Amino acid sequence: MTTPLIKIEGLTKYYEMGGTTVRALDGVSLDIQPRTFTVVMGPSGSGKSSLLYLLGGLDRSTSGKITINDERLDQMDENALALFRRRTMGFIFQSYNLITSMNALENVAFPMQFTGIPVSERSERARQLLEQVGLSDRSHHRPSELSGGQQQRVAVARALVNNPSLILADEPTGNLDTVSGVSVMQLLSDLHRSGRTVLVVTHDPRMTRFATHKIFLLDGHVVSEAEYQSATMEMANLSSN
Amino acid sequence: MKFLDLLRLITGNLSRRKARVALTAIGVVIGTAAVVILVSLAIGLQKSATDQLYGIGDLTQIDVMPTYGGGGGGGFGGPVFVGSPGGEASQLEEPVLLTNSALDQIRAIPGVKVVIPRDYMYASAMIRYQRLEAGMSIIGIATDDLSNLGLETSNGTTALNKGSVIIGVMTPNNFYDPKMRPGQEPPPPPELLNEQIQLVAIKWDEQGNEIRKILSLRVAGVLNETGGEPDYSIYLPLEQVKSLNEWANGARINYNKDGYSQVIVKVENADQALDIADQITAMGFQAITPQSYLQGINGFFVVLQIIFGGVGAIALLVAAIGIANTMTMSILERTREIGLMKAVGATNRDVLSIFLGEAAGIGFIGGLGGIVIGWLAAQAMNVLAIVYLAGQASQQGGAPPSVAVYTPVWLPVFALIFSTFIGMLSGLYPALRAATMIPVQALKYE
Repeated sequence: MTTPLIKIEGLTKYYEMGGTTVRALDGVSLDIQPRTFTVVMGPSGSGKSSLLYLLGGLDRSTSGKITINDERLDQMDENALALFRRRTMGFIFQSYNLITSMNALENVAFPMQFTGIPVSERSERARQLLEQVGLSDRSHHRPSELSGGQQQRVAVARALVNNPSLILADEPTGNLDTVSGVSVMQLLSDLHRSGRTVLVVTHDPRMTRFATHKIFLLDGHVVSEAEYQSATMEMANLSSN
Repeated sequence: MKFLDLLRLITGNLSRRKARVALTAIGVVIGTAAVVILVSLAIGLQKSATDQLYGIGDLTQIDVMPTYGGGGGGGFGGPVFVGSPGGEASQLEEPVLLTNSALDQIRAIPGVKVVIPRDYMYASAMIRYQRLEAGMSIIGIATDDLSNLGLETSNGTTALNKGSVIIGVMTPNNFYDPKMRPGQEPPPPPELLNEQIQLVAIKWDEQGNEIRKILSLRVAGVLNETGGEPDYSIYLPLEQVKSLNEWANGARINYNKDGYSQVIVKVENADQALDIADQITAMGFQAITPQSYLQGINGFFVVLQIIFGGVGAIALLVAAIGIANTMTMSILERTREIGLMKAVGATNRDVLSIFLGEAAGIGFIGGLGGIVIGWLAAQAMNVLAIVYLAGQASQQGGAPPSVAVYTPVWLPVFALIFSTFIGMLSGLYPALRAATMIPVQALKYE
């Protein structure tokens, strides 16, 4: 068995909200192997986004260990986390988070400003990535001139610009119609096939068909697929009654 | 993050928000322009004041005068009673006279180069050259060479002998033709070097009859321009002026008993002048050095510059609050962008640098505009003021000012650095807020 790329042990994340403690993650332990396509499924409030942000070092856990590439994220300071994200990870968000005043090419090139890649290489690399996501003819369009699916593909290109080994995607198809959603998932699947580790958080069961591994979260706990199915069936029945 | 990347990102970010940056920068423009104009005005005032004082004298010179007992009476009389009417704290003050022994004491002060007594001619006198006449300041001086006073000539000599005089460069302009008829062209200033002139001293007897004494003197030298008193004076040996004064007063003058009325002290180095003047004052004499005037005047203008600069700085402070406000708003609007920056690997320091840089950039742009506007306004004021003041000067007689508002090179440079710094300072709080945002909260900010 290969060493896991990501190892999570006893991870908790509690929030204080209106005087009550919300247990977003309540003792999660799991391993994610390298070069896998993992989909984390869970209804809203299950803690799946919290898990993703903790893995990305964008938030701090309440307790537990997160090890990625043999490095302990929970012990890093802000600066080390930023540098770690820069070298290791690419992020894709539900709402794309493109900078509206920049065109597609500039948005893709944006992260390279922090890495010291020579200026001459930047636009070339950004152009190649836009071509890879099928948007070479849209490189000078602003986000407002692109469809949701196109915007998300720009975001995928941006996530790849520093050549990360790990892609973290938070509901990447959440704002997209089915066709666009499938094309984005196909793109992520291609990335997986090219040797990257992809972790997608979603509540859309249709997206699981691209996954090599599935993780189910309910109320801050990892559950089996069977438990998850029965719980979601129960919720569906409750809402139909 | 490389500096060039930072610069590129900052200029990109600022140029994306042109209208807002421009509106915010206008405040800085006004503040900086105010600083430039007001400080230029203060410096211009100082400059024209010191220009008027040009030739106030040689900075290595101290004029020393005797003290005739607490300023009372002012005569050659005996002790003067000074004190409160109650008499409790009363004291007798002896006059302190510039006798030869006093002069030796002054000579003994380290740094004193020469001590030269001098005296004005009190009697009525005029200078006559052929048919021209002139009135001028006649000075007797106890030195055989005026170069001891730091005076120079390129026409003749500075050596002073009995029977000869050395004249200031402006003195020929004083000559007029007493027999000139109205409408007649005034005579050109005479060339006097090596010419014989006549000094005509005049006194009146008890019956009011005019008595004249005429000395024939040769002009041995014409002094170079100093911009001060020597330009309008004529120098004779002290003994000659003394005897003319004795003739006019009808009484003998004993310098050993009554002291000299004025002594010129030359010091080795201008830096020592104030210190030596203090020492001479401590001996009981009145010592006046151009340095003390200049010091007082410059001190006043430094205060004026600070006050004027302060008024401008208040305008800049208001502009700084504007920048802080704009940056705070900008950070609120760009919260998700900040989250994204962090997600793609920007460190807190990168984010801090970007937002500080943007604030400094607004300060810089405003400062640049302010300098240009301030400088143009200063030039315009200069033109108007000089035209106006020249008009005034021609009406009242007197030299027109050369400059009213003066902008030295350091001022715009300083103003630009200052406005940039103010911009950066006002961006500090918003930038720190941006830098320390928790990425996930920034990304989820609605």
